[in-house]
Amino acid sequence: MKAVCWMGKSKIETHDVVDPVLLNPHDAILRVTRTAICGSDLHLFDGFIPTMEEGDVMGHEFMGIVEEVGSEVTNIKRGDRVVVPFTIACGNCLFCKKKLWAACDNTNPNAHLMETMYGYSGSGLFGYSHMMGGYAGGQAQYVRVPFANVGPLKIENDLPDEKVLFLSDVFPTGYMAAENAHIQEGDTVAVWGCGPVGQFAIASAYLLGAARVIAIDRFPERLEMARRRGAICVDYAEEDVSVLTALKDVTGGVGPDSCIDAVGLEAHLADVQGLYDKVKTALMLEQDRPGALRQAIQAVRKGGTVSIPGVYGGMLDKVPFGAAFGKGITMKMGQTNMHSYMKPLLDLIEKGAIDPSDIISHRITLNEAPEMYKVWRDKQESVTKIVIDPWAERVAA
Amino acid sequence: MTMAELSNAKTNAQDKPSGASAVFNGRYMPPPEDGGGQRWVRTSMIIQASAEALYARWRDVESATQWHGQTVNVRRTGMKTSHWTMMVGDKKIEWESEILADEPGRRIAWHSIGGDLDEAGEVIFEPATGGRGTMVTVLQEYRMGALENLSQTISGRNPKQGVIESLRHFKALAETGEIPRTEGQPHGPRGAIANMKRSMYGETVPTPPGELRRAG
Repeated sequence: MKAVCWMGKSKIETHDVVDPVLLNPHDAILRVTRTAICGSDLHLFDGFIPTMEEGDVMGHEFMGIVEEVGSEVTNIKRGDRVVVPFTIACGNCLFCKKKLWAACDNTNPNAHLMETMYGYSGSGLFGYSHMMGGYAGGQAQYVRVPFANVGPLKIENDLPDEKVLFLSDVFPTGYMAAENAHIQEGDTVAVWGCGPVGQFAIASAYLLGAARVIAIDRFPERLEMARRRGAICVDYAEEDVSVLTALKDVTGGVGPDSCIDAVGLEAHLADVQGLYDKVKTALMLEQDRPGALRQAIQAVRKGGTVSIPGVYGGMLDKVPFGAAFGKGITMKMGQTNMHSYMKPLLDLIEKGAIDPSDIISHRITLNEAPEMYKVWRDKQESVTKIVIDPWAERVAA
Repeated sequence: MTMAELSNAKTNAQDKPSGASAVFNGRYMPPPEDGGGQRWVRTSMIIQASAEALYARWRDVESATQWHGQTVNVRRTGMKTSHWTMMVGDKKIEWESEILADEPGRRIAWHSIGGDLDEAGEVIFEPATGGRGTMVTVLQEYRMGALENLSQTISGRNPKQGVIESLRHFKALAETGEIPRTEGQPHGPRGAIANMKRSMYGETVPTPPGELRRAG
């Protein structure tokens, strides 16, 4: 089959590889019908996440038709159409019982690697480094799905793939970000980063009762998309715009009740601080560039909440913890507990309350994927979301 | 018969590990430190199964090949004795093991009584605080020269980490009926650097097969 492979930093290639086979009794094999490139895949592309191996199959956002199931799989069968969550959960450990699916004890074959780096291991993830399990990802024609009784969500309607595909990651991630923001009726919520997760966080914030959302980004197409969702846009790249001043100006000096950092570890800031992080990460003196997080902590109102769906990977420098303490803020973060959100969010899509496919800007083939990683990383061609049809030879964009 | 007499040429300085528990009399007890040729490892996990079921799984020594790292064969040789065969890389290691203490649903202690491995261990099963399953604690002691220890660490897995991985696999099997694995999945061209990483990350050590009949 064809698969998109990580071949080194800034090096993605499409290769012919062997088809996946059942390896465990709870495995399923899917014929992938749609898959997407996630903003967090760019962190792998840029070499920010350690323990990638040359030849790793990329991709953690995918859906497909069940091709084959292992001897112990009872929830899905050949021919079923399913969306697969990017985190893998066993359903039986202490954490799965608490519905902290992303903290599952039993799905990461390389848990020891994560324990060495972080003290504890989370669940396994598809196509996202070997410390996260080393599972082959779904930017391919077929994919193996472990613990198939627990993860895959059956789609039993005739909605097109594109409307349900983002239940695999970005929609639940944006929704959990809004839920983690502890939004009360009438609140003002600020969102850093208007990529797919930011867009879903904005939509979800309104669904959860926010009176006003302020969207922060530097790309016109993303800001325009946020504005269409009803957000007030702040373009931080514009001359004379200071994000912290803007947030005070529009909230009467109070600051947003909740701040959502949907940027993560590769923040771009135009100022001296941004340069500081760029130099330090280049010299390997710092692992992440936490510019958005710093601003979120500084901007949030006294006693407010900072919610962090953006991915962080290492040690952070110059985090304004004094401000966090002084204001008595709450911070909530982490990989999405996917399995709790997929079904309720599917219901919202079926009811027509939201159409997740409106973020898609590019439709491509597997062969075009390597080039599109570059295009998205370099922020050319107004990319908002790239969807891959693994069986198409050529697709009109 | 004393323990020294039992354990043929290589004598265990201590009879067996004891007091695997991390808390004694309201105080935290650190694990024993390495020294005098002895290496120690203590590890514990919370498992969602009854102490009785977990004890029974551990006590069924012949089924240890399902979850015990690099263990290819275990043969019961008596009421309390068994013969173990392990493959570390392409090196075969064999030894006799004897159970020293056997408290159903609570505790098992054992030691080697001859062969290529000089070790002793204890596992205790106790109800986790707040009814959150069973806490399983393993205390393992082994004797190994620094060179051998280093060579195993470089070629595959540090023996201490091996004890931790075995308990992790025991837990996964008890909780889910399988052990998570990635050997045999598709990948693009690996190259020399990737192969070096695989060895460094312990991915060249085979995952034990797990309980249920392998799929396919």
